[in-house]
Amino acid sequence: MSESDPPVVLIVEDEPDVAETYKLWLQGDYEVRMGQNGDEGLELLDETVDVVLLDRMMPGLSGDEVLREIRERDLGCRVAMVTAVEPDFDILEMGFDAYLSKPIRSEQLHDTVTNLLERSEYDSLLQEYYALVEKQATLEATKSSAELAESDQYEKLTEEIVEMREGLDDALGGVEDDDDFIATLRGLSDNEEE
Amino acid sequence: MYDLSSVLDFDALAEVRPGSSILVSGPAMTGKESLAYDILADGARDGDGAVVVTTGDKASSVVDEFRDRVPELQGAQLGVIDCRGEGGSDPEVIDGVSVHQVSSPGDLTGIGIGITKALEGLHDSGRERGRLALVSLSTMLTYTDKKTVFKFCHVLSSRLDAAGYIGVFTIDSGAHDQQTIQVIKQAFDGLIDIREADGGGRQVRVLGLANEPTDWKKI
Repeated sequence: MSESDPPVVLIVEDEPDVAETYKLWLQGDYEVRMGQNGDEGLELLDETVDVVLLDRMMPGLSGDEVLREIRERDLGCRVAMVTAVEPDFDILEMGFDAYLSKPIRSEQLHDTVTNLLERSEYDSLLQEYYALVEKQATLEATKSSAELAESDQYEKLTEEIVEMREGLDDALGGVEDDDDFIATLRGLSDNEEE
Repeated sequence: MYDLSSVLDFDALAEVRPGSSILVSGPAMTGKESLAYDILADGARDGDGAVVVTTGDKASSVVDEFRDRVPELQGAQLGVIDCRGEGGSDPEVIDGVSVHQVSSPGDLTGIGIGITKALEGLHDSGRERGRLALVSLSTMLTYTDKKTVFKFCHVLSSRLDAAGYIGVFTIDSGAHDQQTIQVIKQAFDGLIDIREADGGGRQVRVLGLANEPTDWKKI
């Protein structure tokens, strides 16, 4: 995804009116794709998709089956499951990153998508942060403390690390609740193969 | 604030900020695990919650260890996440303590879910303070790469920070290269460094939790 492209949201929903409504709400801020059932949803899914809004109860492939396939394909996208009933605590184990109970309000939908994109942003910041920390560790492991004290590169790295750490702590407000925590960890596991 | 100085006598440990994560680093057989358990047990005596993530000891041994250290321990005060992958995948209860089984020390999402449930259970029983120990990162590093472990530690620290807990994580400094240790250290607020002293015994110092690193002290 380049800087200028809006994030891509894929809506998988069998009721056309409902899908259209979500699209109207989101299309100002995001590139929206729509699949009318599980099979169509999977066809539209590629690595450019950032967030999937997945209806749980659909004819044909169910939301749960689509989700399983998404996880098997190891795509980096975040999935919000849309359900008719409020799920219990066991949702954490089901492999989706957020859930929305029908009927959904516009504000709620926007908040969920924003939150899931923030998780992805947190992942990529963490990735950058790690790259800096690893460089620093390599210098620390190979140079003497006298050499480090004189190294401009080391000084610059150290400053960048401090800055990045504050960015991670502040900009995204940390990992506040259980859903965020699990969704972020799930992101780490998904990226293990990289 | 958490006072860890009764377990390990350093001024730097007398007022540890809620949300701090501490790495306990030292060679094998220098008592890192025991120190982590002591820190949790000391809090449990004062009513703090305790969460143990274990990659080596059986959940039942962890429960026994805590009963030995804190005879008055209430079952609801302790949660154990057993990541050895040898038990079943279902949660179970050992002697009143809820135990969550995880398939392997590399299953980060599973460990996270176990921790979430343990935190939830402690919160429900009215405990607002608590301490978590993860023993050990060295085992996790044999199941997954250092980058993933680093990121996991960072995310978990952030979660503990939000909960106002303190976290104690152990690593075997002799089992990894210098660079790995340097990387992992960066995910923590503080470090308790253990080494073998000349002529026997152990020496300890504390870094990152006060303005200056402490001197080595014999324990």
